[in-house]
Amino acid sequence: MKRVVVCSVIALVLGAGPAAMGSAAAQPPSGAAMDEYVPVADLPPDEQLPAVPLVLIAYGVFWAGVLVYVGTLWRKLGAVQKEMETLKRSLRS
Amino acid sequence: MLARAFPYTLALTIAGFFVVPFLINQAPYESTMGLVQKIFYFHAPSGMMMFVAAFTCGIASARFLFTGRRESDRLALAAAELTVVFGLMVLITGPLWARKAWGVWWQWDARLTSSLLLWMMFTACLLVRRFGGPGSEKLAAAVALFGMANVPFVYISVNVWRTLHPRTSVVPSLGASMGVPFWFAMATFLCLFLTLLAVRLRLAEEQDALEELYLEADDRTAFA
Repeated sequence: MKRVVVCSVIALVLGAGPAAMGSAAAQPPSGAAMDEYVPVADLPPDEQLPAVPLVLIAYGVFWAGVLVYVGTLWRKLGAVQKEMETLKRSLRS
Repeated sequence: MLARAFPYTLALTIAGFFVVPFLINQAPYESTMGLVQKIFYFHAPSGMMMFVAAFTCGIASARFLFTGRRESDRLALAAAELTVVFGLMVLITGPLWARKAWGVWWQWDARLTSSLLLWMMFTACLLVRRFGGPGSEKLAAAVALFGMANVPFVYISVNVWRTLHPRTSVVPSLGASMGVPFWFAMATFLCLFLTLLAVRLRLAEEQDALEELYLEADDRTAFA
């Protein structure tokens, strides 16, 4: 009986905690918070993030990545082929 | 087959990347996001190629595990590398777009988090191959299978859970003005994927041939 009561109390406490936190989170923001919040799309033009640098960086990163990867493959292929030629020559001799 | 198709895929890739910037430039601005939405024409195809590469790696890994064929192992390695490369493109271009569109670089929502996890799985696959020692190919193949199994979850995550990321229904609903550049970019990226896969496979074949030559040299030295 004592164990049942203790378990019930623990369950109530564990259940009440998140419920309290949830209700606190669900409370509407205070007046100050509402006044300061501005959606991104409603910002004045001089405070908005410019899109051109972001687009250029995105395309630039793509091209840099592809070129670096292709360059790496090219270099490794050349090194392997060179090593193979050297080894074939030494095996023949 | 890939080696025979290589000149054609290379030519198509080069031609495609010459044409695609004009098509992207001609495409209209998206009504809410404006110019930054144009990242979409490289971001989404990179994502799809990451999925294609992951599937290729998974299928090749399964074939290697069940048949032990070296060609399948080489294909799995090449595809795993391309999964990581295209995944990196997605994970960099995405936040650049998100910073402008959502106001944040990153959100731990279902699509972004699962994409990051997928990329990390295939990076782990490569690290296992590199540092796992002899016999690590089979372990890496198992990791790749697990990674491949995640691809459908990454794809449908935007439809199942509430996310900031646009849903999969956006692409089929594109009008011709945006649809044509998008599908052209997708086809170009597919050609790029096949071209890179062919080159990486060639490197893997040459490396295996070099290993065989070293073994032959060792045998000759041992019996000399």
